[in-house]
This record gives sequence, structure tokens and C-alpha cells, in this order.
Amino acid sequence: MMTGAFIAGAGLFFTPMTVLMTALGCLLGIVIGVLPGLGPLMGIILLTPLAFHLPPVEAMGLLIAVYVGGSCGGAISAILVRIPGTPLAAATLLDGHPMHLKGKSREAVGLAISASAMGGLIGGLFLVFLAPLLAAVALRFGPPEYFALTLLGLISIAVVSGEETTKGLMAGLMGLLVATVGADPFSSTYRFTFGYNPLLGGFNIVAIVVGLFALSEMFIQITSGHLTEKPQVPWVKTSFDSIGAALSRWVNLLRSSLIGTFFGILPGAGGVISAFTSYAVARANSKHPELFGTGVEDGVIASEAANNACCGGAMIPTLALAIPGDASTAVLMGALILLGFFPGPDLFSKHADVVGGIFLAYIAANVFLLVLGILLTPFFVSVIKIRKSYLIPIVLLLSCIGTYAIQGSAFDLWVMLGFGVVGYILRRFDYPLAPIVIGAVLGPICESSLRRSLILSGNNVDIFFNRPISAAILIIDIALILWIALPRGLKSTIRGRAIGLMKLAPEKGGPD
Amino acid sequence: MLRGFSKIVAASALALGGAGLLAGPAIAQSSFPTRRIEVIYPWTPGTPTYAVSQIIANAMGNNLGVNMPVVAKTGASGVNAFDQALAQPADGYSVIDGYVAPLVISPLFKKANWNCGDFVPLYSATSNAFAVVSRADEKRWTDFPSFIKYLKAHPGKTRYTASAQLSLPHMVMAKVLKTVGAVARNVPYNDLADGTKDLRSGLLDWMVVNPGIYRANKKEFRVLAVLSGLKEVSKIYDGAKRAQDYGVDIGLHSLAPMGWDWWLVKKGTPAPVVAKLRAAMGKALAEPAVHNKILQIGFVPTSYKPDQYSKVCTSVRQQLQAAMGAITWETNELKKYH
Repeated sequence: MMTGAFIAGAGLFFTPMTVLMTALGCLLGIVIGVLPGLGPLMGIILLTPLAFHLPPVEAMGLLIAVYVGGSCGGAISAILVRIPGTPLAAATLLDGHPMHLKGKSREAVGLAISASAMGGLIGGLFLVFLAPLLAAVALRFGPPEYFALTLLGLISIAVVSGEETTKGLMAGLMGLLVATVGADPFSSTYRFTFGYNPLLGGFNIVAIVVGLFALSEMFIQITSGHLTEKPQVPWVKTSFDSIGAALSRWVNLLRSSLIGTFFGILPGAGGVISAFTSYAVARANSKHPELFGTGVEDGVIASEAANNACCGGAMIPTLALAIPGDASTAVLMGALILLGFFPGPDLFSKHADVVGGIFLAYIAANVFLLVLGILLTPFFVSVIKIRKSYLIPIVLLLSCIGTYAIQGSAFDLWVMLGFGVVGYILRRFDYPLAPIVIGAVLGPICESSLRRSLILSGNNVDIFFNRPISAAILIIDIALILWIALPRGLKSTIRGRAIGLMKLAPEKGGPD
Repeated sequence: MLRGFSKIVAASALALGGAGLLAGPAIAQSSFPTRRIEVIYPWTPGTPTYAVSQIIANAMGNNLGVNMPVVAKTGASGVNAFDQALAQPADGYSVIDGYVAPLVISPLFKKANWNCGDFVPLYSATSNAFAVVSRADEKRWTDFPSFIKYLKAHPGKTRYTASAQLSLPHMVMAKVLKTVGAVARNVPYNDLADGTKDLRSGLLDWMVVNPGIYRANKKEFRVLAVLSGLKEVSKIYDGAKRAQDYGVDIGLHSLAPMGWDWWLVKKGTPAPVVAKLRAAMGKALAEPAVHNKILQIGFVPTSYKPDQYSKVCTSVRQQLQAAMGAITWETNELKKYH
């Protein structure tokens, strides 16, 4: 079936204009992703009116490429200036920026682009060959499973916080608290809005992320001085060796891509969760977990492969079930409807050529991301040569434009400023910022899944343990919480004994 | 010499500025529009309703010779979008895609403090009727009467969704349940698409859908009843019967049981500007291509004229006020069974 779709779609995709539009979309996506505040969602929204006038596959090629490029672009600014261009890249800065500080800017950016593109391609393989099957898997995840999964994501706060577990958990709780502001979806009552209408919709996650990371970083740059010194950064050459570097860590690359695809197929889960979970898993599986956060390549690969694989995953329920995987695919779905094609099972049977064309566009977008991203790396790295006195106003201006553009709301600018100040204070006292993002993103999903599960079960908690997937994830959650709660000394003893047992095992299985 | 030149420039600028201030409004109205017009849309972009709004906006923009982007301002059941639209000047450059939820329902629940009279209507755009569906392979009932019979025999046991709590589909469904004397457990979902997933997987027993959700999943659904009195609405659901065809009068008529939007501008918008916008929208809705595209997505172009706005809005408000009681009834009834 897929082969037929590909052949039929090839005729629609392999036209000069469609290929050109896909390449253009990818380039625009990378640039939009780099700019703080503007992410793939905004890029797709901005280009949808243009896409309306194009043939279907050409239009979808343009928009999907913006989605793919935009999902990666944020990593570049995260690495180079410690500002995630999009919330998706918040996990990338944990190791990406320290790599830059070690003088490995080109390597870090190249690695992020390579891992993104390869993660995207792996997600694409699942999209192409297993879309209907994986869509059926997505159906098995109901509110109890979402609750268990989001709990797992919240536990990852302890992992990404490194040595500062208590501070990380406090920051995570702050994120959860922030997420409660706005209209309660279950009773339509307002929480913590204090009669102030702009708070009805809660705090915008983009304003939170830009404030926490971009503004706080700019405040720190300003207070640290040296504003007019020109950084001495040597010109870097284009090099494709980062592809080899990413492939040499193929276990992490593959595992992270699978995690990304998995979270992608679950509607509403999204790239931010996949990136942090993948990062936490990579750290947990590393021989040197203590080095995470100091600029290790595996950290960059884990988050970037996951958040771009998530794109392919998110397109699976969108196309196969007409249930958007995330906000960006929701807009992609709207564009497809505007073009006269309704997603869902009928799309595969009645318009296999369009489906094939969309699949090819997605794969081509990832290839363009790899090539264009690496070719442009020297240009992006050259940004850090700009004096702080120029760079800071530019970043602040772009942050304001990007945040305002999301909803055209001046209130979001105040939110951004407020979180900028909060971020600055927290960083001064060595509190990690990433847990706030995790809490703010996961909080609403966790809360609504818990409450929905209890309504479904008539307030019976058995619903979480009667369903095998939910029960299995909850057992993992409980085990992880117990592990985190163990005193450090006891953990070292258990680890030591486990290693001792592993060393003994081959001897026992020897000659006798 | 330079100083003299500066004075001349400054005096000219002042004179032009003064003249502009005096003649500004008149010129602005006659040359309207001179820049893009935003259509403020209260829901998440990317949905079928967004697509319909974009289709109308594109056609309308072509008639006016400017771009008309549909800008999504989400949050608080559409109240956020209305708030932001009302904060804009009454100059016609912000058109509100006025859905029934923020326009009528939110004020009913005292979540907003405006009424229909605070807006000037252009034209009504579309309506989308709801339908009660269950899984296609459902064995416990076969049609609407047997469905009602099952619900009555198992009060509070079946689980359904009708979108968010206190949303229009929820109000309509609660009214139906109250009318037939059946009780079921409402599970709120912000997005009906998520509810669809859980219906298909068996977590929910039945649900209320809109045409977009039905269109994308029609093979998975069995339509039990269409919740509209309008005969033409049945066609959207492939000829399924209406509740009234089974002798159930839900007590909501005309547009009251349906989702609809009326494109509006802020009260105080100059009459010539309103006239231009109305003419452009009327022409856009009359275009066969626009009409067909809207129908293709599963919506019905309503094309009520501006002079019908007040009557329609007031009538819907009165009927929905009565339906509010059904939600209270549902909540109280459920307490008896849990």
C-alpha cells in the first residue's frame, strides 16, 4: 500500500516547484526556529495563507518543512547564546551551551542539526511504514496512561536537575503552580486570575520560556560587563563530520529517536516532553552521568533526535486518525482541510497520491535540514562574534517580537519580563530553570488526565491499575521515586553491589 | 539658510498634520481599507472551523483588496479573543469571528460582561449541527430509541463527552437527556478529537460530535440522532434522523442547538466602514466556490442578514438560558447514582 502511495506521490512531489518550496520551507523554518519566541507553530501559521494558493503537495511540502526546520532551529540559539529559540530546545541547552563554552560551537551546532535530521528521518520511517499500526497504539493511551506518563515526565525533573535535586523539584513545583493559572477546564471556574481578564487563558508557554531563558541570560550578560569587547572567535569552516559523530553514537541516536516518535504519536504529549525524557534516559544510561550538563555530546543528541523524531510521530495520528499530535500538526491538519483533503483513514484510501507526496515531502525536509543546516553552521556561529552591546538589544527586540506575535498580546510581554526577572534571580541562587518548563508543560496534561480518569471510573483509583499499560508505567514511576528518595550513601552501596554482581556473573557461568 | 528650510519643513508638517487630524476620519472611511484586516478567531488554529473562517476571510479580502488573516486568540472559551478584540479601536480593522460560546454562553454564565448589542453585525457565516454517535460496532443499542432505553435502564453508568464542561454541545446534550429523563456521566474534553480517541478505544460509551469530527471518523461512528430541527442538516450526517424524527422535542429551535458564528465589529465602527465590510462579506458568501468549500468541510452557510442579528441572538440567548438549567439538573441527578 505504501509503495503504491509513494509511486503515486512521487509524481506530485518531484516537480521543481514542490522541491523548491520544501527547501525554502526548511530554510525559513530554521531561521524562524533560531529567533526566540518564533517556533514552528508560528511559522506554519504565518505561511498557511500563502499555502492556500498552492497545489496540495507543494503547500504541504512548504508547511511540513517549516515544521521540521523550526523544530531544530531553536537548538542553534540554545547552544550559541543559551537562549532556546523554541521551548523544544530547552533541553538542548543543558549540554549544548556548555559545549559552546568549551569552544566546540561548530561541533555542537553540527551535532544538533545532524541528530535532528536523523531523528526526523527515523520518525519518518515510522510515519511511512507504520502509520496506521501506530495510530492504533495511540488509541490505547487514554487518560490513565497519560497521567502515568506525565508523572514519569515530572520525575525526570529530578534527573535533569543534576546534583541540585531539591532545588530542581522546587523549580518544578513552581512550574506546576504557574500552570494552574487560568480557566479550569473541568468546572469553567477561574483560578488565580484575580478578576484580571488577560490571565483567563493562563500564561503562554512561549512567554515563559523566552522570559526564563532569553531575558535572564541578557540580564546576566549586562551585569557581567564587557559589553563593548569584540569576542575573538575564529571563523569556522563548513564540515559534514558531525554526521559521523552523531552516527558513532547510534545507540543513543536510535533510542532517542524512538522515544521522540513514541511521544509524537501520543496526541498532546509533544516535543518538549520527548526531549527532556530522552535526555533523562540518556543520562541514566550513560557510564558517566555526572558529566551531563557539562557539555557532553550525548546530551545534545538525545534532546535533538527526540524532538525532531517527534515531528514524524505527531504526523501519524494527524494523518491516520485526524487527531493532531501537537499544536503544529493541528495547524497542518487545518491547512490540509483548507486544501480540500480530510485527514483520517479515507485520506489513505482515496488520496494515496497526496499521502505519498506528503510522506516524500517530510523525508525531503529532513534531508534539506541536514544539508542546509550544516552549510549554514558557519553563518550561525558568526553571530557570537557580535559585540554584546549590539547582540543584547537585538536579542531583546527579537524576543519581544516573537512573544508578541504568538497571540498579539501585550500582556505576554509583561509575562516574559516577569519570568525574565524570576529566571535571573533563580539563576543567581543556582536553581535550574528547565524544571519550571517541564512543570508548566506537563502540569495541565497531568491534572486533566488525573481528573478525567477519575470521572471515567466514578472516582475509583483502580482505573490506573486495571489497565496494563497504565499499571506498568505507574510501577516504573513508583520505583523511580523510591530510588530518588534513597539516601545518597545507600544508592552508592546498591550501585556498588550491582556492579559487583555483574562482574561475578561471567565467572559463575564459566567452565562448570 | 538651513535653519530657514527647517522652519518651512516644520511649518508644513504642522499644517499637514493639522489638516490630517481634521480630515483624517473622513478620508480614512472613504479609503477604507488601506491595510490588512484581522479576523479575530477565538479557538485553536487548525480546526475545521478555522479552515471555514479562512475560506470566508480569503474571499472577503479579495473583494476588499487587502489581506484578511485569521488570527487565533485562544483561551477561556473564546472570552480572551473577545476581550482583545474589544480592546482594539472601532475602525473596522478588527473583525470578530463571533461564535455563540463567547458571544452568548459566556455572558449567560457571567464569565463575560457584554451582550449582543455591544457588537455590529456583518453577516452570519456558518452553522454546524451536533449529532449523538456511538461506535459503529456498538451492541448495546441499535438506534436512538434503544439508546435512550439503555440509558434509562442504566442511569449514570454510561460515559459520554460533549466537549468542555458548560460548552454548547454539553448544554444541548444535557437538555436532551433532561427531556427524555436519562442520566449519563459527562467527561469534559477540551478537544473533541481527544474524546473521539477515547470513544474509539472504549473508554467512552458515546459522544456528541460536530461535522468535522464526523467527517474524519464516519466509518467508526454510528449516528444515533442529529441534534437540530433543520432538515438539511441531516445531509451533513449522511441522512441520519433528527431527534425530533423520533418524537423527541429537545426544546431548542432554529440556531439554538447548533454552533454558529456571526462576523461582528465593535459597536461605534463608522457606518461607511461597516457598509463596505458587509458588502464584501455578502459577496463572498454568495460565491458558489466559497459556498461549496464550506459545505465540503461539513458546515452550512447560514447567510442571515444583518437586520436579523438582534432577533436571532436574543432568541438563542433565551433558549440557552433555559438549557442552563439542564446542566444543573444533570449534576444533581448524577449525585444520586454516585
